[in-house]
Amino acid sequence: MKAVRLAWRITRLNFRAQLEYRSEFLMMVAIGAVWQVSVIVFATVLLTRFSGMGGWDSSDVLLIPATRMLAHALFVLFLGRMHGIGYFIQEGKIDVCLVRPMPVHLQVQLRMFPTNAIGDLTVAVGLMVAALGRSHLDWTTGRISYLVAAVLGGMLLEAALFTAVASAALRFPAADYWGGWLEELLGTFGSYPLNVLPKAVGGLLTYGLPLAFVAYFPAAVLTGHGHSTGAPYWLAAASPLLGLLAYLGSRLLWRWSLSHYTGVNG
Amino acid sequence: MALPHAWRAARVTPLGELHTPPRMTAALLRLAVQVVLVASLWHGLYAHTSTTAGMSRDQAVTYAVLAVLASRLRELDQYAARDTVIQHMHFGTIVYWYLRPLSPQRYYALRALGEQLYGLVWALAGYAVCLAAEVVDPPRSAAVAGVFALSLLLGQWILYYVMLAIDQLCFFTLRNNAAMLILIFAQNLLSGVYAPLWFFPDWFVTMSGFLPFQATLSVPLSLYVGRIPLSDAGAALLLQAAWVAALALFTRLVWRLAARQVISQGG
Repeated sequence: MKAVRLAWRITRLNFRAQLEYRSEFLMMVAIGAVWQVSVIVFATVLLTRFSGMGGWDSSDVLLIPATRMLAHALFVLFLGRMHGIGYFIQEGKIDVCLVRPMPVHLQVQLRMFPTNAIGDLTVAVGLMVAALGRSHLDWTTGRISYLVAAVLGGMLLEAALFTAVASAALRFPAADYWGGWLEELLGTFGSYPLNVLPKAVGGLLTYGLPLAFVAYFPAAVLTGHGHSTGAPYWLAAASPLLGLLAYLGSRLLWRWSLSHYTGVNG
Repeated sequence: MALPHAWRAARVTPLGELHTPPRMTAALLRLAVQVVLVASLWHGLYAHTSTTAGMSRDQAVTYAVLAVLASRLRELDQYAARDTVIQHMHFGTIVYWYLRPLSPQRYYALRALGEQLYGLVWALAGYAVCLAAEVVDPPRSAAVAGVFALSLLLGQWILYYVMLAIDQLCFFTLRNNAAMLILIFAQNLLSGVYAPLWFFPDWFVTMSGFLPFQATLSVPLSLYVGRIPLSDAGAALLLQAAWVAALALFTRLVWRLAARQVISQGG
């Protein structure tokens, strides 16, 4: 309880610190929103110009960017500070965290308030409402529960990927470069049916980089396309669970990497 | 004497990159994967149609792949070099830009020139491979190739000024992180990196015509794939040149205003 109170106080202070530069604060809120809007624009243009994308109805396709965006917005809000940690490590700030009586992971997450998450979350919620409004599915309790689990699983999977990159950055700060690429790939290829891609490329984005598990597979299961994804149905359906397992695995990796971390003085 | 100095300033970034093989390997892998993914995506989208929005499959694939290659021209990890305006503003070292025998605007331009030439080598190598692998179509004629090269040069010139304007913002607001992100978003969306502007609604194309971003990439690539015919190339090039002139004047003025903001040791 004391830790939660402390985390809340630090978050409040971080929020006030962000408000120090008002124009920057407002622009950060805006950037979260416009970044997400760019995904919507791209998806909309493709849906308009190429009807029946990968055999999916446009209202079904919309569920993919909506799930991914909401998962991403929650990731940015709660677990996103792992992204871009390379400079934090390079500047030796992680060393300071090591001597404080609080878990390093928590300190990293509390190092700043993610202002852009406000914009991200606003647009993501708006898109999810629009996607659910256009959906022809019968939203039973089971489907809603699965969708909630999928969003949380997507958040955890994204967090797992960035935690893995952050773990690598503890040893090789330049690994942060891969974080930027990862974000780009998730933003570009995580928002529509991957069966539009050749099988080998789709396989790469499923088993090489588990991007398909963030939103594509859960949306496929929900909309009845679960058997045509190219992956076993049970695997696609287990996406939320895989997100949880991947996150737990990445936290173990982080802990192991941190125990082997050596600063500039050894 | 001026030329050796210019050469020394311009080669800082390329040398920095050449001395970090992991970053170069990562850039190579990233570029290769991005080209494969983008080409696959557009091939997949055209699986059930031959022409959309007046663009054939080959035109769309060529456009999309060239857009990825062109993005390499300025896609450097500039933070890693510790020589961005925002970093200098943050650490108070921007004052040294004003103490050297080289003016800040000249130094900035030379560094950017080095970066863009380094990026050009990557883009040209990628282009050669894609051309050999028949991922992209070659230009339809020598005239098209010439006009495209000129248009790309003007486009990069415009992009340089746009980036400069965002960096100059630091002199007045101290931070430009959000502005930079907005710029990257606007650049990607309005220049046709996400998708060719020909796919967007008419109002969107009209609106982007009033902004400089489409002149950075959409115009040269449209000339290359033939969506802008050679007969209209003159007007397109003229528009790009007008943006270069307007942004040059604007950034020159801002450099003057920025110099008044720089303080040393508390003023």
